[in-house]
Amino acid sequence: MTMIQVSDLSLTYPGTRDPAVDGISFEVGQGEIFGFLGPSGAGKSTTQRVLCKLLQHWSGSATVMDRSLTAWGQDYFAHVGVSFELPNHYLQLTARENLKLFANLYPQDVTRSEDLMAVVDLTADADTRVGQFSKGMMQRLSFVRAFQHEPRLVFLDEPTAGLDPVNARRITDHLQTLRADGCTIFLTTHDMHIADLLCDRVAFMVQGRLALIDTPRNLRLAQGRKQVQVEYRTGEGRRQELFDLDGIGGNERFAELLRSEEIETIHTQEATLEDIFIRTTGEQLL
Amino acid sequence: MDVQRIWVLTGKEIRLGLTSFMSIYVLVAPVVLSLLVALIFGDLFAQTPRLGIFDAGGNETLVQALADHPSIQTRSYASQAALEAAVARGSVEWGMSLEADFANVLREGGTVARTNTYRWGEAGTRNLMLIETAVARAVVEATGLVFDELPISVEVVQLGEASAATWSQRLLPLLLIMAIVLSGLFIPSSSLVDEKQKGTLVALTTTPASLLDVYLAKTAVGFILSGLMALIILALNNAFAGNPGLLLLVIALGGLMSSILGVILGSWSRDMETFMGIIKVLGLVLYAPGILEIFPQVPQWIGRVFPTYYIMNPLLEISRNAARFADIAADLAILLGFIAVLAFVLAREIQRQQQQLALEG
Repeated sequence: MTMIQVSDLSLTYPGTRDPAVDGISFEVGQGEIFGFLGPSGAGKSTTQRVLCKLLQHWSGSATVMDRSLTAWGQDYFAHVGVSFELPNHYLQLTARENLKLFANLYPQDVTRSEDLMAVVDLTADADTRVGQFSKGMMQRLSFVRAFQHEPRLVFLDEPTAGLDPVNARRITDHLQTLRADGCTIFLTTHDMHIADLLCDRVAFMVQGRLALIDTPRNLRLAQGRKQVQVEYRTGEGRRQELFDLDGIGGNERFAELLRSEEIETIHTQEATLEDIFIRTTGEQLL
Repeated sequence: MDVQRIWVLTGKEIRLGLTSFMSIYVLVAPVVLSLLVALIFGDLFAQTPRLGIFDAGGNETLVQALADHPSIQTRSYASQAALEAAVARGSVEWGMSLEADFANVLREGGTVARTNTYRWGEAGTRNLMLIETAVARAVVEATGLVFDELPISVEVVQLGEASAATWSQRLLPLLLIMAIVLSGLFIPSSSLVDEKQKGTLVALTTTPASLLDVYLAKTAVGFILSGLMALIILALNNAFAGNPGLLLLVIALGGLMSSILGVILGSWSRDMETFMGIIKVLGLVLYAPGILEIFPQVPQWIGRVFPTYYIMNPLLEISRNAARFADIAADLAILLGFIAVLAFVLAREIQRQQQQLALEG
């Protein structure tokens, strides 16, 4: 089942000449984690804001949950969750009060708040004023807020930014659980490791257009070399050799190395998402 | 628009609003000012009434009785001219020139006892009443006559410029405008600016609550608080009089106008500095009718130029002159006109802000 279907979507901001989003088309299936990647200013946030019904006056068509985006009213957000890159909470309220306030705005019963706080390890701080939270704690609270009403579709912007590895892991593990439960996640990130780890498919945006869209595995294979690099140690120091993967079973030199030398590492040479990002966008990741 | 969500958001506004510095200032300032005005100029702690006496002779007992009276302050003057001068400059509020043997004539059954009295133009009604009562009682004690049968002819001459209103009465309009406008305008606007800066506004609009719901909740809070503040100020100034239903109607309309204006200004302002800049310019316009009331010598029609006049004037007409609906209908119609214009501007502003949030969010 298709959750998001975008066709020829374009948007030009008032007062600018070049479109921020220029005729992009893509689909996102139900239960898919879809990564939206690209450098700053590429049009990722604009696309996400269109799909969050924040921006209007776009052209093309966008269908979400089998209904045209323009036909949805504010009830859209009863089924959709949004987590922003920068945490935005009421600092005078506690974490629990923040969640309760937002929960009360939904027509459905919101019962997942406590479970989700436990998932992101916020239970002990639930009654602490958010003004006393670290950035990471606020980020985790944003995560809970986006999911507490059990949305079918969630837009996440840099969900692990500012998190320590343990909490980042908690979030990514839970996202995989939610995917298994059928939740669709539209993920905007600069973190290629997270994208590679989580996303079923990724799309690279460059200057308002979609440059690439595929599964991370297919992109890695297509953009990489079908070679294996062997690193070994000899009496004269460390050395490395490259072998074609095709016919490697019959490669005598490769077999001899494995038999006679002290092997330190063996790596296939498929591209990483970071390599693909740099190659596609022409920009270095920070 | 969803009433249940507006209710939730209104609760949040009250909870957060009442703990902010701006709210404390806005809610406390008019009350403190009211109490200060009452303390300095008002009736509750008014100065002791001041009586001046010129005795042409033979009235020592009566003068002594007045001098010993605990509720008034009595000063004697050596001549009628000195007494008149003292009243004219306000040293005493009431001057009494006693003819020779005034008390003895009365005590012996004289039929005519004439006394010249002088009233300071700005003397307060309460003080004058206290002096009159004290004098009457002293005369009764000095003559042994019955209070209601004193054969005295009193001729009152007013000295000094007349003023119908006490200072507390003059300041009441300004306090009322402060109460209604400060809480109605400042609380929604400062809350809105804060939400824009902290990003919570865009977070709310990605829930089933619409920007209209958010704005209406803020308007509701301004409306409720301005109404409460107006009632408190009227009560503190003993001005909650006249038709209470009509009074509440005017307070409600005034609160509505102020809170809609507050939400619009908050929506226009990028940050608190911008908002305070707007208020510096707009403040004078809002408070002008109240300031004009302090100076009765300034032509009062000037006040009609300012929108808040149409809140202030009906309130004063009801509480001071027991005005009926027909008496203030024209003012209310103009006030409703302002509200309609502001509501239209607010509707446009919500659309603009929706786009602005998308660009900045």
